[in-house]
Amino acid sequence: MKRFISIFLVAIMIMVMIVGCSNNNSSGNTVESGSSNGDDFDTGKTINVVTREEGSGTRGAFIEIVGILEKDANDNEMDRTYPEAIVQNGTNAVMTTVAGDEYSIGYISLGSLNNTVKAVKVNGVEATAENILNNSYEVARPFNLAYKGDLSPLAKDFLDFILSSEGQDIVAKEGYVQVDTQASNYESNGTEEDTLVIAGSTSVSPLMEKLVEAYQELNSGVSIEVQSTGSSAGMQSAMEGTADIGMASRELKDSELAELTPVVIALDGIAVIVNNDNPVEDLSIDDIKSIYIGETTNWSEIE
Amino acid sequence: MKSKSIENFMKIVFFISATMSIIAIVLICIFIFAGGIPFIQEYGLKNFLLGTEWKPNNTPSSFGILPMILGSIYVTIGAIIIGVPIGILTATYLAKFCNKKIYKFLKPSINLMAGIPSIVYGFFALVVVVPIIRNIFGGTGMNIITASILLGIMILPTIINISEASIRAVPRSYYEGSIALGASHEKSILSVVLPTAKSGILSSIILGIGRAIGETMAVILVAGNQARMPAGLAKGIRTLTTNIVIEMAYAADEHRQALIATATILFAFILIINGIFLTIKRRTNNG
Repeated sequence: MKRFISIFLVAIMIMVMIVGCSNNNSSGNTVESGSSNGDDFDTGKTINVVTREEGSGTRGAFIEIVGILEKDANDNEMDRTYPEAIVQNGTNAVMTTVAGDEYSIGYISLGSLNNTVKAVKVNGVEATAENILNNSYEVARPFNLAYKGDLSPLAKDFLDFILSSEGQDIVAKEGYVQVDTQASNYESNGTEEDTLVIAGSTSVSPLMEKLVEAYQELNSGVSIEVQSTGSSAGMQSAMEGTADIGMASRELKDSELAELTPVVIALDGIAVIVNNDNPVEDLSIDDIKSIYIGETTNWSEIE
Repeated sequence: MKSKSIENFMKIVFFISATMSIIAIVLICIFIFAGGIPFIQEYGLKNFLLGTEWKPNNTPSSFGILPMILGSIYVTIGAIIIGVPIGILTATYLAKFCNKKIYKFLKPSINLMAGIPSIVYGFFALVVVVPIIRNIFGGTGMNIITASILLGIMILPTIINISEASIRAVPRSYYEGSIALGASHEKSILSVVLPTAKSGILSSIILGIGRAIGETMAVILVAGNQARMPAGLAKGIRTLTTNIVIEMAYAADEHRQALIATATILFAFILIINGIFLTIKRRTNNG
């Protein structure tokens, strides 16, 4: 009996704690939304730089485009990312960090952007699909699919679907940029029931899931599994044969190109994000570069 | 006859069960060392262990894990500074001072602490501890102090439970003898019982160290994860475990091997810690 009472007490305690926490959160939110006009943004504060981990496709593309990756005459490459930058291993982790810290800056895939954070203009150009397609938004990268040897009929058909007008419509609808705006319509090659495993980049997989959903509506009976493991892991799986198709949100490396055939299925912009309370609207590529190599460390140095 | 054969059969079943864990540990050893040692030989043990630069995607790339080794050591020391005094005092209180009613409430709470998944601890630290530290020390709030506080809390159940058991295991005659000599209750416990339970308490600390050094998912959220030499208590840090988890998903080729080699080093650390634990335990049993 006493045990029951003690368990009961612990349960009540936990309930109280949960309720208490949720109250705190909601009151915290109202305070934040009240101050969201940015009036109390202290420009004298240090910039908290958030980056992705080494090897991430987003980081690879970002440092190359912005010029953080320095190449010298001997083909040596050096990633000069600010050593004090917080490293987060995922798009969502970066967004959570930036959303929770007024003075931080990060970068994520444009398709994953939502209203918890604010995307800044780069060189005065807003991060939109049109601007990526007409090359005015500079921070963009390809989404690659890669496979080894010959494709199975199902995989071939699925690739045809992605590159057809139907597939490319989904690409556009999800906020990414089409590789081919004049693609022809999709025609099924009459694939029988079969299974397909697609593995790789966490940036590509949200789009891939939508594509798979639409494809399965047209071809009932096929089973396609999407594993979100990371670009390099995806290429590894494709080379080892544990996945039929690998996804990468970066250009393939030479070692990977030796074994795999790549297909670009979409383009993606990288949005540079800041906290919603941050008054900064526009950054030049040079500003971003200087923040990310640690030369600019204070918000007051940004105009 | 029939019952005999059943008995033999069950003996085999029990024997296989008993060998399973040994087989598992041997396989883990083989795979971790076979995966890591070729890379270490190629890159050089000294360069790998004492290199201060971790830049896997540079050409030429550098794979020095000294920052991560120091990171692991720093947060572990921090966790000990925070967790050990609280843990030992709690254990002493539970074993010798607290009345039954409070005990019935405290003990299940501590056991509950041991059962909370580490990612939950990490999330708690991210939303509660990080903003507090950010307000006090400035910067990002993701630093050695935050990680130490988090780990200090996480190793509490290990330290409390083992220390309490070892304090309870001290023969009652020691305590009674001290009381008979005129020492007070407090004096008897602090000067007689606790020193006698020393080796048990020490092993609880060592197991706590093992837990702190191996912790990953919680630390990843609050440590900042910068792969550079530790630059101060209020600066971020990366540990050996987080280095592996954070980069494994995207690592290819040499980078991947370097991460497996990192696991080898971590495994060696854990082996050393457990070796110390066993030595202390054996010495106690003999003495």
